[in-house]
Amino acid sequence: MRDHFQDRTVSMKKLNCIFFIVIQFSSFELMAHHSFTAEFSAERVIEIRGEIEEVWFKNPHVRYLLQVKDKKNNIEIWDLRGSPVVWLARKGWTKDRIKKGDEITVSGYPGHDGKKMLSIIEVKLSDGTILIDKAPK
Amino acid sequence: MKKILRSTIKLILFSILIPALSFSSETDISGIWRISLQDGARTLIGDLEIEEEVSGLTGYLEGGPVDIKIDGENSIEIIADSRDVRGFIFNRRMTGTFEGNYMTGTYQQEGAVAQKEEPGPWKAVRKSYSIKQSEQSNPFDISGTWAATQQLDFRKYTMSLTEKGKNWLESYMPYYDQPDVRCASIGLPALITYSFPFEIIESEERYTMLYEYQSKVRRIWMNKDKPSEYMPPSRMGFSKGKWEGSTLVIKTNMLEKTIRDFRGELISENATIEERYSLSEDGQTLNAIIIVHDEENYKKAPIRRTQWLRNKATEIFPYTCDPDSFYIPMYQENKMQMYIDRSELRF
Repeated sequence: MRDHFQDRTVSMKKLNCIFFIVIQFSSFELMAHHSFTAEFSAERVIEIRGEIEEVWFKNPHVRYLLQVKDKKNNIEIWDLRGSPVVWLARKGWTKDRIKKGDEITVSGYPGHDGKKMLSIIEVKLSDGTILIDKAPK
Repeated sequence: MKKILRSTIKLILFSILIPALSFSSETDISGIWRISLQDGARTLIGDLEIEEEVSGLTGYLEGGPVDIKIDGENSIEIIADSRDVRGFIFNRRMTGTFEGNYMTGTYQQEGAVAQKEEPGPWKAVRKSYSIKQSEQSNPFDISGTWAATQQLDFRKYTMSLTEKGKNWLESYMPYYDQPDVRCASIGLPALITYSFPFEIIESEERYTMLYEYQSKVRRIWMNKDKPSEYMPPSRMGFSKGKWEGSTLVIKTNMLEKTIRDFRGELISENATIEERYSLSEDGQTLNAIIIVHDEENYKKAPIRRTQWLRNKATEIFPYTCDPDSFYIPMYQENKMQMYIDRSELRF
């Protein structure tokens, strides 16, 4: 699986293929081993873009802090939550895939009440590589 | 004359009673049903228990309450809550008809979820019970590494709680009170239902189960009735197993308090967890039914079902857990005092 994430731009066809394969392996319990509903909303999926400020590649949940510029160019810090390390590692998403200073675009389920939290569905790296944590069927 | 009178009475009784009896068997829906539902390639299976009370019908799916309504002569609607694989809560609305010992219809998912289900068919068949003769032990080789599937389990969300169970749940704070978010052991029964792989090692007197999640170890004793003296209770408890025919039945007690699921329902120290494992004919699929017997907290025993596939390629990965990701945000959000104030409610 790691080959899928190598440093190259991936064509849409290949992306679809990766997307399909990853869904096959990711459609299990994933992040939901804590009270997901209490923190995130399934009502909508949002996408944000920014620079990685901090990486926590640890169980029980992988976490990234992301600096995001708002419309007025102010920096907001978003708390991105991912699956446990063991799940991501199985898919080739290891600690060094996303590092401090990396520019990423991430989509996911936002926190309740405008809280700047995001449960990761998909991360797009600056080279076009897509890492999928979880995806709606 | 007497003969004619007798025959006439018999005929009248017969003509009254028989339709009445058959009417009763067609409309009496109470009892236990085996319900199954099709979500694409997934088949979910559960026990549906229907009770007829003065106030109307009461239904339970896998031990948890469902809304059940009968309309007209044989139309039925059942609404059961569930949790999807990402943890979002939703309902399945099952509508259809029933006749005699059979129900059938279609269902649809309701609510915002990550795991979408297309409308699909469901059916239910009345369960019949026969007294089982004690079966001779017929063990199978269940050793190996097993990877979870999404089959079988309805993932019923709410359970039917006693007053004590309800009181506990009202005081429970999701996320902040959950043991495993701060790397404390979640224990049984939740550990068995999480979709991380696990490995079974067989030796002469026991099975050893190695769970990837939280790197937990369980020993299932086959020839030991009680634990060693002074062994403390734990969230993995003391497990005793026996083969009933080709089903491995495990009963676990000596548990420490924990929660049943993400909702936070309590598992008491007096609970017994019953697991029933069976292997497919080709030896590649392992199914388990997990039943919680805890009368302090549950009016009906909660049931979960899990299925795994034998997977030689799966390795059990190490699980190192660091609770900083729980404590630091809490500190940053000024919630630490709230957390400390709730210490007595946590375990």
